[in-house]
Amino acid sequence: MYTPWLIELWAAPAALGFALLFNVPPKALWMCGILAVSGHAVRKLVLIMDGDMVFGTLLAALLIGIVAELWADRHNQPGVIYAISAAIPMIPGKSMYQSVQALLGIATMSAEADGTALLVAAGVHGVKAIMIVLALAFGIAAPLLLLPKRGRS
Amino acid sequence: MKRQQTLDRFALDLIIAKTFQYNYFMINTMKAIYALTDILTLALKAGLLAHKSGAGTHRTSLIIQRTAKALGAVQVEVVISSTNIGATIEREHERETGFRKAPHMGVNFSLLTSLDDWLLALEKNPINAKDAQLALDKIAQAKVHYPRSVVTLFVGLSCGAFAALFGGDPAAILMTTLGASLGMAVRFQLVLHHFKPFVFASVASFVALFCTGLLRDFTSTPDTAMAASVLFLIPGVPLINGAADLLNANYLNGIVRFTMSAVIILGIAIGISLALRILGI
Repeated sequence: MYTPWLIELWAAPAALGFALLFNVPPKALWMCGILAVSGHAVRKLVLIMDGDMVFGTLLAALLIGIVAELWADRHNQPGVIYAISAAIPMIPGKSMYQSVQALLGIATMSAEADGTALLVAAGVHGVKAIMIVLALAFGIAAPLLLLPKRGRS
Repeated sequence: MKRQQTLDRFALDLIIAKTFQYNYFMINTMKAIYALTDILTLALKAGLLAHKSGAGTHRTSLIIQRTAKALGAVQVEVVISSTNIGATIEREHERETGFRKAPHMGVNFSLLTSLDDWLLALEKNPINAKDAQLALDKIAQAKVHYPRSVVTLFVGLSCGAFAALFGGDPAAILMTTLGASLGMAVRFQLVLHHFKPFVFASVASFVALFCTGLLRDFTSTPDTAMAASVLFLIPGVPLINGAADLLNANYLNGIVRFTMSAVIILGIAIGISLALRILGI
């Protein structure tokens, strides 16, 4: 039912392509890859242990956010460059795609057909996507939100 | 011999003492010498660079405040809206206000890193405001690290990796990489010609999905390949920054970033629907 663990390593190239697009400094690339793989693996672990996608994403993003912040502090860099690049493979692109697909289905259906199922599908996938994005953002911003006095990052 | 050494040592001490005194004097007077307008120009320039490079609202605001305060402003108020940034800075009986147009451009994390270094250096040693100005210009003009062709290929590979993460087979990974690379190349060209996000998103997603869809007979997981092939267009940074803005109580900017993302996603959807109709799926 689950994809093999080795598949998780694909999170590294998924993050690195976007890291190049975001012009991350070359010295920081490897850390983005490591964080991406560990974040994605944590989410898979939560899913295997019968957790849900949103909770798994939250835990993974918390891990990414905290490690990125600690690492960036030691090297005097903004933590977001690691955190955002590493979070990209967890953006719920597939849910967004399915939601939009369902909405487009409404455009192509015949005049008498009942579009309830399509609307429900679009809504469910859309809400799921929004919750995953919020969980991601909360995890990444957690060091800043929970320690506001530090005034950095 | 010994006496000579003592004398030398004394002379050295004297020079060090003089230098410190001089520096101390410089710091105390120079801070007051900067015209408020110059401080504001530099602070807004730093903030504009941060805003354009994908910094969140909170970070941009902090950068403006820290720059102005390092140069001697006492009170700093910052306004950051979706397309403008502005600040009012005060010192004793003077007050200065300025605004800049700040379009969302893209993401440049190297620039954000250099900006952080620049700010730390400025705070440590505020007497070199002219140098700081020059250094900021240099940061703004720094070239990106990676040539466009490399970025195009690697972003394509990223989408291939997404196909793999979604459980696609090797053929799906390959064709996704190919389709997404082509789409990315188209996107770069359109951005260079100043097309709006809605337009480049729909055209690039059409190209990527159409190319991937043409090869769909080679794989047993065509849906995965086609879903992954347009993911390079998903506006990840505005989505994350928007949600972070909302959680950080910057409500307006959070909604603006979400709306921007929604328009891009709508563009992707239109490209997808055109491609699917032509492919007859």
